[in-house]
Amino acid sequence: MILVVAEQRDQALNRASWEAIAAAQQMAGAWPIAVLALGASVGDVAKQLAQADVAEVLTGEHAALGQYTPDAFTMALKGVIDQKKPAIVVMAHTYQARDFAPMLAARLRVSLITDVIGISGDGASATFTRPMFQGKLTATVRATSSGPAIVTVQIGAFRADAARRGGSPSVSPAEISIDTAAIRQQPEAPFQEAKQAVDLSQAERIVSVGRGIKSQDNLPLAQNLAKAMGAEIAASRPICDSGWLPMERQVGSSGQTVAPRLYVALGISGAIQHVVGMKGSRTIVAINKDADAPIFEVADYGIVGDLFEIVPALTAELQKK
Amino acid sequence: MTRENLEVDVLIVGGGPAGLSAALRLSQLQKQQGGEPLSIAVLEKAREAGAHILSGAVLDPSTLRDLIPDFQAKGAPLLSPVQRDNVYMLTERSKLRLPIVPPPLRNHGNFLISLSQFVQWLAQQVEAEGVDLFTGFAGQEVLTDGIRVIGVRTGDRGVGKHGEHKPTYEPGVDIHAKVTIFCDGVRGNLTKRLIQEFQLGKDREPEQYAVGLKELWDIPAGRIEPGTVVHTLGFPLRHEEFGGAFIYALPENRLALGFVAGLDYADPLFDPHVAFNRLKKHPLVASLVEGGTLVRYGAKALPEGGWNTIPKTYMAGGLLAGDAGGFMNSMRLKGIHLAMRSGMLAAETAFDAIRAGDTSEAALKTYQDKIDASPIRTELYPVRNVHQAFGYGLIAGLMFSGMTLLTGGRWLEDLRGRPGYQRMKTLAWYYGLDVPVTRPNNVATIDRLTTFDKLTNVHYSGTAHDEDQPSHLIVQTEVCSSRCGPEYGHPCTRFCPANVYEIIRETGQPPRLQINASNCVHCKTCDIMDPYQVITWVPPEGGGGPQYNGM
Repeated sequence: MILVVAEQRDQALNRASWEAIAAAQQMAGAWPIAVLALGASVGDVAKQLAQADVAEVLTGEHAALGQYTPDAFTMALKGVIDQKKPAIVVMAHTYQARDFAPMLAARLRVSLITDVIGISGDGASATFTRPMFQGKLTATVRATSSGPAIVTVQIGAFRADAARRGGSPSVSPAEISIDTAAIRQQPEAPFQEAKQAVDLSQAERIVSVGRGIKSQDNLPLAQNLAKAMGAEIAASRPICDSGWLPMERQVGSSGQTVAPRLYVALGISGAIQHVVGMKGSRTIVAINKDADAPIFEVADYGIVGDLFEIVPALTAELQKK
Repeated sequence: MTRENLEVDVLIVGGGPAGLSAALRLSQLQKQQGGEPLSIAVLEKAREAGAHILSGAVLDPSTLRDLIPDFQAKGAPLLSPVQRDNVYMLTERSKLRLPIVPPPLRNHGNFLISLSQFVQWLAQQVEAEGVDLFTGFAGQEVLTDGIRVIGVRTGDRGVGKHGEHKPTYEPGVDIHAKVTIFCDGVRGNLTKRLIQEFQLGKDREPEQYAVGLKELWDIPAGRIEPGTVVHTLGFPLRHEEFGGAFIYALPENRLALGFVAGLDYADPLFDPHVAFNRLKKHPLVASLVEGGTLVRYGAKALPEGGWNTIPKTYMAGGLLAGDAGGFMNSMRLKGIHLAMRSGMLAAETAFDAIRAGDTSEAALKTYQDKIDASPIRTELYPVRNVHQAFGYGLIAGLMFSGMTLLTGGRWLEDLRGRPGYQRMKTLAWYYGLDVPVTRPNNVATIDRLTTFDKLTNVHYSGTAHDEDQPSHLIVQTEVCSSRCGPEYGHPCTRFCPANVYEIIRETGQPPRLQINASNCVHCKTCDIMDPYQVITWVPPEGGGGPQYNGM
């Protein structure tokens, strides 16, 4: 079987969990899929997950899982994996998974395959594609350990809306055993470092601005378009570096990696450092006055022209609806 | 604020060939001579050993043989013995092969290596001896008690862009040592301070530098035999400019392609990266790389000045080794074996001094005596004037090199040098009052197949820094638009091979310098070549920087 570990916080399911389910469905072959949600109380999340076309949904509830600690999650997961003996464990490559998955794999002495962007074959013959050297190369790998392989899938690499729904899985509690005395971390109350802290990787639509916007005073132009589209605003490095937008809105190799359904690049030349952070977007629209700008090499739709004319027209058109 | 303290016997700053050889030699002496075990710590700013190091590289294995006699059994990553040497004189479209390879460039018995890989292996040997290698920790400041070096402070972590403490803030650690061996590389930030504070450059010639740009390529099979070593002179440089190119054919259709330019050029519009791109369009190089793929890019300054420019290498509680001390032979284009040798000698000096309970300046002076009695002097002293001779142009330099070979370097008087940045001319001096924006010499076509803009190249260096930290390039920006722009046309935007310096021109505003510190590949060129000497390179938060695997 394949075990998918869903991620939730305070009963809100992380959108990327559906991506992990989609990946599991793709590689399952004849294997049944079980989805596990961990937390202090995960009833609502389990109800949502039960819409998926999977064999069973497991609820792993324990007071020590209310606030994330790598030790508690590793102990809980190791227990479930030891009982259920899945062939593959799949989860989204979230910050949380990045934190505990290496420890879990080491504890189980099994292969860990991270940041997977593609899967070919299914069942025991599945091989995984993952980026190396900041996305310049991709490697095809398979697990060599005898136990279950732990696989994390890159955010956006599998489509959440491609996850098949309409199954009628059984929902049952998983047995969770945690030795609370062995938890070495003491989490403090969660806080947001900045007021507007934003996780762009969760955005469905993004309007991103580059140096072509020329001045901070012109930002409302892009912000209005974003508002009209229901999009998050993001930027390339120079904009955040100048302090025109906060650093957490930076997309690219030294910022966030995003994969929205729609990415609109305004006045972004398309330096490779930016492109590696957004090339996974489903549809890329670029507006730039330089027809030779490398952004047009990755864009699905390109408009060669002055963003100061095009953007207000686009915004006005969108506001009509 | 309280800082953590760490007490060791010997602190080695910098995990390159010099520092790791010193560490290994210390543990060997420990084993041979017994006694109270010495505590040794090695600091390395890269996240892992070898990640920040870059060279050609052809290794002269003489020191390696002395340090690790069974290096082959221990799996030293020597990629290929050098099979043949070629030297070409290039003009824009043609090449002239030198009928005989000048003796200093004969590499029979030497090996092609990736220095990054080699250093990784050396680090494994050192760690196997139980020496603590602290990777991801940069030496930020020298600690002195006013008279002697007492150790080094590592960099703070978790400091935000404007100097504020982030939730992850951790102050740096004070590491106190009886002897600190500084191996912080070419233009090391700590060595730079020591040279000022302890006047180590007194009565010495000023150091001369060059900058090397290197790319690693995967090329179609069958183009060049592995083990082939090619050096070129001439194009894209002019007679007044020092430098040349190297092409090393590695196994498995890998090619190391590099270009070195002296950081003492006169033309303020000269751009080493543009020159490198022009080189790649020369038929000799183009016929090798066309249809291939770029794998890695990097840049690093190198000390070229030779024997007379080596600063005083010892002070109370401190020693200099490797590129930090300028141990390089610019005539043979080699320094790894000299760096290793100086590291070994520094280790022997530190060991004896600690055993004798005397690490004063007088006790550590034996380091210089050891250097004078070692192959370092035998190799460097005869060629001590060669680089300085190239200051008079390519022809003069070549003639002088030839004479040096004939006479064994016997001269009445040594040649003087000037710091390279002082040789840069103003735009008005070089081009006359009618300043042109571009000349054929400073533009190159970018086809994104074999030639790239700097920003794309930087991506291939793998360099990464946390954006939310103070700039590690401390620039007094007052002169930028008031003087440097009109006088030199912002040469920082050209000599930096990583697009760190950018001049932003916004309508209605004076030109403004933007420092893209996160692009930095730690080559130190800006610290060396800026004509006003207003740029100071300090280490960014530990772990940040390039990723030079395979370079």
